[in-house]
Amino acid sequence: MRSLKENDVLVIPCSGIGKVHGLIGREATYRVTDELAPERTATLCLALLVKGDAEAVQAVRSHSCITIDGCAKACAQKNVAMAGGRVSKAFQAAEAFRNYRGAKPGSATALTDEGWVITRDIAESVACEAARLSAESEAVQ
Amino acid sequence: MSSERTKVGVISCSGEAIPEGSISRLATRRVLELLRPDVTVTLCLPLFLAGNDGERNFARTHPTITVDGCPKQCARWGTEQHSGPVSGALVVTDILGTSNEGCHCSSRELSEQDTAAVWAVAERIAAEVDRVLAVSAPREVTSAEGSAISCGCSTPTPGGTITINGQERQIAGLQLIFDQCAAGGVPADGGDGAALLNAVKIYHRVEREEEAEYQKALLHAYRNFRCGIQPGR
Repeated sequence: MRSLKENDVLVIPCSGIGKVHGLIGREATYRVTDELAPERTATLCLALLVKGDAEAVQAVRSHSCITIDGCAKACAQKNVAMAGGRVSKAFQAAEAFRNYRGAKPGSATALTDEGWVITRDIAESVACEAARLSAESEAVQ
Repeated sequence: MSSERTKVGVISCSGEAIPEGSISRLATRRVLELLRPDVTVTLCLPLFLAGNDGERNFARTHPTITVDGCPKQCARWGTEQHSGPVSGALVVTDILGTSNEGCHCSSRELSEQDTAAVWAVAERIAAEVDRVLAVSAPREVTSAEGSAISCGCSTPTPGGTITINGQERQIAGLQLIFDQCAAGGVPADGGDGAALLNAVKIYHRVEREEEAEYQKALLHAYRNFRCGIQPGR
């Protein structure tokens, strides 16, 4: 993982291990940080926040954060907020399924082609939001 | 109250920033789905902070093994801090040494190296589950405790079904076994089926007198699988 820049937007998924929604959020994050917006986004381990790692806590407090949760328990959003982070936008993978009724996205282990389409859909929304936040941050400076 | 077989909790760090986090997550899934589906359960690590008391009590009600990607051991720390002491703690970098170099974070880019790393860690987790079970007695559970884990992580993925001598047989993780066979070079027609049978026998008991029938049924299921038809559930 590259080092964080001042205007980076952090994209943090829950990576829920029990359902396909967690994997979709995780893969959407990689799609954003590796392909769609690598120059303005980064991710960090949510488990580090759970641990209370000082560097991770400082990172979520000093950068805009976008969380991607699999389900309504919103673990990523809650953990970032509990660490004092700024959650600028919270996505839920389950909500994206409204546009894909009847889709079979795969499992918590592997995505189907339909799962990857949903992942890309979420990733594009996240990348747009990251661009907006990044522009706002630059305008303030 | 009822008596039930002890189930071992497996908590993965799933660290997003490093490939070893993806390996820990996938290896844990392999154990839940394929290697030890009847004796393992899991929970999302962040639920210890975001969840309710039932979820935070997870490690108190199950002997728990943590699987961390790196020596920071966030899963172990988080579990012990918020839930209770663990029965075993594994670290992917300790298990793999330098053989995880070149692995990827995203499952979209999985290489043979990633797959081999996941299997190596999964087998180590399974061995640790066996060790923990060997020293754990069956326990008494209440109905309330039984429903404490509500996020569904503990539900193993159903296996595939094949028909042997007119009877349906469930094979845990059959799709994963077929995936592994395909990745390992078993042709789309399944060859003579021996490789399929050998792969299934690693995870599923097959009586010697039924081997020929299994081989035939697996060949049929594998050919369908390679044509996009999933094994029956």
